[in-house]
Amino acid sequence: MDVYLHLIAQGLAIGLLTGVLYVLIALGLTLIYGILHIVNFAHGEIYMLGAMGVFYCYVVFKLPFAATLVVILLLSLLLGLGVERAFFRSLRGQWLQLVVASVGLSLIIQSLGWIAFGIQEKNVPSFFTGVVAFGGVRLPTERLIAAAVGVVLVALLYALVYRTKVGLAMRAIEEDEETARMLGIDADRVAALACAVGFALAALAGAFVAPIYSLNPGMGLEAILMSFLIIIVGGLGSITGTVLAGLLVGVLQSVGGVLLGAEAAYGLVFIVMIVVLVVRPAGLLGKA
Amino acid sequence: MKRGLLGLLIAALALLPPLGKPYVLHVVIVVLINVVYAQALYVIMRMGYLSFGHAGYIALGGYTSALLATKLAITPWIGFLAGGIVAGVFAWALGAVTLKLRGIYFSLSVFAFAEVVNAAFRAFEVFGGPAGIAGVPRPALLGTRLNTHLQFYYVVLAVALVSLFFLYRLQWTRFGFTLLALRTRETERLAESLGINAARYKTLAFVVSCFFCGLMGAVHVHYLRFVSPFVFTFFLSNDLMIYVMVGGLGSYWGPMLGAVLLTGLGEQLFAAGYYKSLVYAVVLLVVILALPGGLISLPRILRRGGARERVLPVAADVAAARER
Repeated sequence: MDVYLHLIAQGLAIGLLTGVLYVLIALGLTLIYGILHIVNFAHGEIYMLGAMGVFYCYVVFKLPFAATLVVILLLSLLLGLGVERAFFRSLRGQWLQLVVASVGLSLIIQSLGWIAFGIQEKNVPSFFTGVVAFGGVRLPTERLIAAAVGVVLVALLYALVYRTKVGLAMRAIEEDEETARMLGIDADRVAALACAVGFALAALAGAFVAPIYSLNPGMGLEAILMSFLIIIVGGLGSITGTVLAGLLVGVLQSVGGVLLGAEAAYGLVFIVMIVVLVVRPAGLLGKA
Repeated sequence: MKRGLLGLLIAALALLPPLGKPYVLHVVIVVLINVVYAQALYVIMRMGYLSFGHAGYIALGGYTSALLATKLAITPWIGFLAGGIVAGVFAWALGAVTLKLRGIYFSLSVFAFAEVVNAAFRAFEVFGGPAGIAGVPRPALLGTRLNTHLQFYYVVLAVALVSLFFLYRLQWTRFGFTLLALRTRETERLAESLGINAARYKTLAFVVSCFFCGLMGAVHVHYLRFVSPFVFTFFLSNDLMIYVMVGGLGSYWGPMLGAVLLTGLGEQLFAAGYYKSLVYAVVLLVVILALPGGLISLPRILRRGGARERVLPVAADVAAARER
């Protein structure tokens, strides 16, 4: 019995730490959804590129860790701006075309990834070593730091959306785009910014998981699956909902994985999603 | 004229194969299977819904029939039907929950559903785990097993023609027109104000779409004589969506054109591995950005104002956001 409790506590802690990283990816999706009303399928690929970026900058080219993060941040911001300009802007308002275009983009990035990076799994050595123990629960420093960075980024995103003028513009567009445009808000620029920030969040999440998982160009798929479940459970477009659901899904997957096995944990998360859809169709904190 | 051409095509499909090499026959079989998948997906895309997970329903159909045949020795003829029905039942269950909501919830949950189905097939020994199920038998007719390409080709052709005919006729029924009316939020409200139960129509359309995917999925598995979690993946769902979009949403013949052209092309690129998805995706983006009506709209654009075709008025405005 004691062993079980201990396992659950450990699973809970790891789940929360993983959940924070899920939140980072899902928040980018939520942000873009709020403005463009699409889910960006290519988001998982940006996460993959972030992780691959760490491998190439930090392991292959031996850049310092901080420089690696800066490179990834800048490239992902640029990529976000570029994708918005090249694809999303001309398809504005065409829901079906937009989503399918993002699927196409995701396929392009992923297949180019397989061609360029190869099928060999890549491993990145830990940025930080050591283990921190809280009572009986032992957590790798690595994951703690990744989670701490995640929390800081989430706080920054809150500040951006709720404390700045750009954030106000984002919320205005989400509320009513036509009126927002009439009031002089440049919706295209705000959309570009949302894409850039969303891409950066996903890439940074990828960068911080790089030492935790083996990397391959297909890793975006699992991440995007979890993110979709999270934004459905949390409520599309709701930032706080996404944060709560991300932590919930992280914990469910981790504790479920400990008790039932990894595949069954997927099923568990899926069942939670269905229950949420039946009981609260708009998600935990979504607007109906 | 049109009818004559169609008759000629069907006659050619029925009579020419004995002359073809096995490889050519294989390509035609794959094309026929994909055409049915694409056409089944078109049922819901025509009403403005997008599915990232049809491969999940195809897999359900395939696994159902494979399990029935290998574990219970039930003839594939019944297995085909059972595959379609199982896929349809699962579609009903998910559709009833998600199709009341906005389109994006549906798309995302179907994607998640397909991944969970895939995980289940990988996880449980009953389904053969990651190795899948081998030795799936071909059906027998009048005491002979249809083991050659040519024999099984006629099974595929028969199932495909019946499915395609049904799906074609469906469009011109009251049901088919109602689905068309549900494709935007505004027209859906209008339809509901006329007493149409939109959620029920959408659910039924999804069930029909998945039934034919499950049916053809079962045929597909008996063609391969093998199924594993890696046969029907997310990439298949993507391919189907690409066929429909590249061919064009505006007409019944669009998805078919997309499936024929791209499957043929894909077979040529098969050896090139990841280049296939790369080429598909590039074609997709080019068509979406430069030719919103898909390839099927090309002749009409070239000779604008020419002969009137019996084309459904969907084309560009299917896109009108369901969202808002």
